[in-house]
Amino acid sequence: MNSVNSAAAASKVTTSKSRRRAPIDKAGYLFIAPGYLVYFAFIFIPLLVGLYYSFTNYNFYSTPAFVGFDNYVRLFHDKLFGTAVYNTFIYSLFSIFPQMALGLLLAVLLNGKLRGRLFARVSVYIPNVTSMVAVSMIWLWIYDPSLGILNRVLKTFGLAPVQWLYDPSTAMAAIIIMGIWKSIGYTMIVYLSGLQSIPASLYEAAHMDGATKVRQFFAITIPMLKPTTFFILVMSCINSFMVFEQVNILTNGGPLNTTTTIVHQIYLRGFQDFQMGYASAMAMVLFVITLLITLLNFRLGNKGNDTDVD
Amino acid sequence: MTRKWPTLVFSIVMFIIALLMLFPFLLMVVTSLKTMGEIQSPTFTFIPKHWLFDNYSIAMGRGDWLQYFYNSFIVTGVTVAFSLVFNSMAGFAFARLRFPGRDVLFFSVLIGIMVPSQATMIPTFLMMKMFPFFGGNDWQGQGGFGFINSYTGLVLPFIAGSFGIFLCRQYFLNFPRALDEAAQIDGANVYRVFFQIYLPLSKPILATLAIFKTTATWNDYMWPLIMTNTEHMRTVQLGLTIFRSETNVEWNLLMAATTLVVLPLVLLFLAAQKYFVQGIVTTGLK
Repeated sequence: MNSVNSAAAASKVTTSKSRRRAPIDKAGYLFIAPGYLVYFAFIFIPLLVGLYYSFTNYNFYSTPAFVGFDNYVRLFHDKLFGTAVYNTFIYSLFSIFPQMALGLLLAVLLNGKLRGRLFARVSVYIPNVTSMVAVSMIWLWIYDPSLGILNRVLKTFGLAPVQWLYDPSTAMAAIIIMGIWKSIGYTMIVYLSGLQSIPASLYEAAHMDGATKVRQFFAITIPMLKPTTFFILVMSCINSFMVFEQVNILTNGGPLNTTTTIVHQIYLRGFQDFQMGYASAMAMVLFVITLLITLLNFRLGNKGNDTDVD
Repeated sequence: MTRKWPTLVFSIVMFIIALLMLFPFLLMVVTSLKTMGEIQSPTFTFIPKHWLFDNYSIAMGRGDWLQYFYNSFIVTGVTVAFSLVFNSMAGFAFARLRFPGRDVLFFSVLIGIMVPSQATMIPTFLMMKMFPFFGGNDWQGQGGFGFINSYTGLVLPFIAGSFGIFLCRQYFLNFPRALDEAAQIDGANVYRVFFQIYLPLSKPILATLAIFKTTATWNDYMWPLIMTNTEHMRTVQLGLTIFRSETNVEWNLLMAATTLVVLPLVLLFLAAQKYFVQGIVTTGLK
């Protein structure tokens, strides 16, 4: 908001003051040319081309022929894609809320006076700088049915080993747990910056009125963090709808397709079966879903008082 | 005095949580130093009995790891360098220069923020493959491989983007106008204003962007996966998956390789935490 106002104010100043400057900076085109062309060629054009392909039967070897809505109709009846959409929603639902709750809890803890606060912040955040591939390799080892540490622990308690990633009833849960572990640091950091923007005077006033810490948390912290919460919710939704790498590495969509996701289906149909037209239709569905989430953000996010995270 | 107790309790709780979060990494490092015999033994030991540093050199011998690291460093370095120049130039023009169509162009850049790369990867891949005149292609983009299995293919789509341009523009908007005007009175043209005044003053935003791009590029798995299929062009992330495809995974070697792949970014993070946090908070991207 601030920046928009200052930009408007700044442009007013220029129109009135700087007569010296030529009215048009032709150099502007030169400045934006490289960046804009790259953006245009690799984001804008592909979006349009993808939309076009989604109405064709393009299969990589023959010239694409227009097939109307065939791909979308097929998509609607495709049980496997339905499973993938369902799995993606399940993954998002069960990873986002624990990750936000735990992230908030850690942020509140780490915002107070603590010994070893820096060590704790770094430890919580490090999984988030690590690549999904590396993280998947580590958890593949943790989940290993015969030698992995998880089953070794179960064994010492006399429990039966679990086939974590190979059992249809636990595979998705295993992937979700890893996802939560990796993303807590992200939520924690954003919440921490949100917490630091809450004026201390609010807490002082509440303290004078005799409000307990718990009361303060629910009456001040939670409402004041509303914009932050919404921001995290939207970013986490978008990110979890893109879930692919861990699925491809840990389970390859199995067992019995219990972990296949939308992007995993796009990858398989597009780059394994070369059904580029059909995969493009899937990509368009994915785009529309993320677009809806983002638009929801603009609608709802602007309603509250805009204490944005910056 | 009464406040001391909770602080101590919370510190201990937080320390335990921190160790739990670090545990998978600790497990990675200790496993990388064990023998396969110790890993397979029925009795579990956390600290290795013999510290087998040789695992690291053996792991690096499984596949051409020197080449993978070289590829990852080149791709990351070039992507970051170009994206800093291109994004800041465009950001400067959108923030400071006036030319017809500026706002329309900027709005079209903003649309890109809402487009996930996974939604456009198929057409982007096809464009790279059918790039005319490159990789044996004719003018219609047929007959060859285009930019597949090339550094260009890995770098080109990522050297500028909505977020980078937006980030720089927002930063430059906060610069005082008086700065430009003073420079113009001194006879400096826009190029000098940008390169000699704006750029030297924008180290924080460039550092944030550089860190963000480094993390994204070094950690990327999907784009190299679809753009390359030769041993020679593999990046480190693809290299790791070699160990996965073996029937009997040698966990000590896999964990040694994983440690080495993770290390550069962890060191960078420890050295430049501030900019990591800045990037997360301002762009909201992971």
